[in-house]
Amino acid sequence: MSNDRRHDIPDTAPEGGDWLDRLLVDDAITSRDAYIADDGFTARVMAALPAPVMLPAWRTPIVVALWSVVAIGLAFAIPGAVLEVGRGAYRLLAAQPVSLSGIAGAAVAMIGLTCAAAAYTLRSN
Amino acid sequence: MADSPVTDAQLIARAVVANDNHAFAELVKRYQSGVRACLRKLTAGNHALADDLSQDTFVLAWRHLKSFRQEARFSTWLYRIATNCWLAHARKRREELLGDRTDELADEDHMDMSHTDEMHADHARGASLKLDLERAMGVLSDAERAAIVQCYHNDLTHEEAAYVLDCPVGTVKTHVLRGKQKLKVALAAYGKQPE
Repeated sequence: MSNDRRHDIPDTAPEGGDWLDRLLVDDAITSRDAYIADDGFTARVMAALPAPVMLPAWRTPIVVALWSVVAIGLAFAIPGAVLEVGRGAYRLLAAQPVSLSGIAGAAVAMIGLTCAAAAYTLRSN
Repeated sequence: MADSPVTDAQLIARAVVANDNHAFAELVKRYQSGVRACLRKLTAGNHALADDLSQDTFVLAWRHLKSFRQEARFSTWLYRIATNCWLAHARKRREELLGDRTDELADEDHMDMSHTDEMHADHARGASLKLDLERAMGVLSDAERAAIVQCYHNDLTHEEAAYVLDCPVGTVKTHVLRGKQKLKVALAAYGKQPE
């Protein structure tokens, strides 16, 4: 670093600040020139770094499998409720007036949403 | 052709993207001297404490490396972390003292005063100026000491010091001015010496 940058420090002291400025600048130059030897400091820092959190490769499939088991278990445990929800959803869909233009509109909307999501993801990356 | 040295930005990218410890170790090697020297100034020459705080500084830098936006030099960013570490330590120590040892605080105030007396006596004995300056820095408030260290010792501009200290430029200038006024009083004997 250049010592010329000291020009940025105006002597804001009312009077007689020159000797103090000189003293501080001289001390700073002496300190900067005196390189502090590493002496194992870097090794100590590296030893103190937190270990990286490494997720095991088998974790994701196991989690997916567990959730699947839970979902299937629930479906078997309360078959009536699942059946009722399925019938309700079908009735809701069947009640909707379905036309060719409606299907086309839905398809266009889905394509638009997919493109927007893809563009946003690519931009974030 | 000689290999061009790897830049800080490249090392940071390797450390962040590839979790490359060796790249971060290279950064530590590059900046350990500057950070330790800065903290030795802030701790008024307490080398053991300065090294402990330096270690904390680099560990924090490693944890938050992803948030480094290159809006300042890497060294300036490290000085910011180092200063925050020191301020946090100073605050904690003060709270401990205020908590249950008010008497000791009074003793310490007395020690500060005796420090000043001792300093003048040292002048008479011709003790080293460096030691005097370190002791005189101990008279300053945390903010004043930090501002003087950043502006003089670390050779930062007022704007860079404001970034490090997380305060407006005007506040930095005020702290430097007040700090220098206190130093002038503490080091008056030196100022009066003939050139």
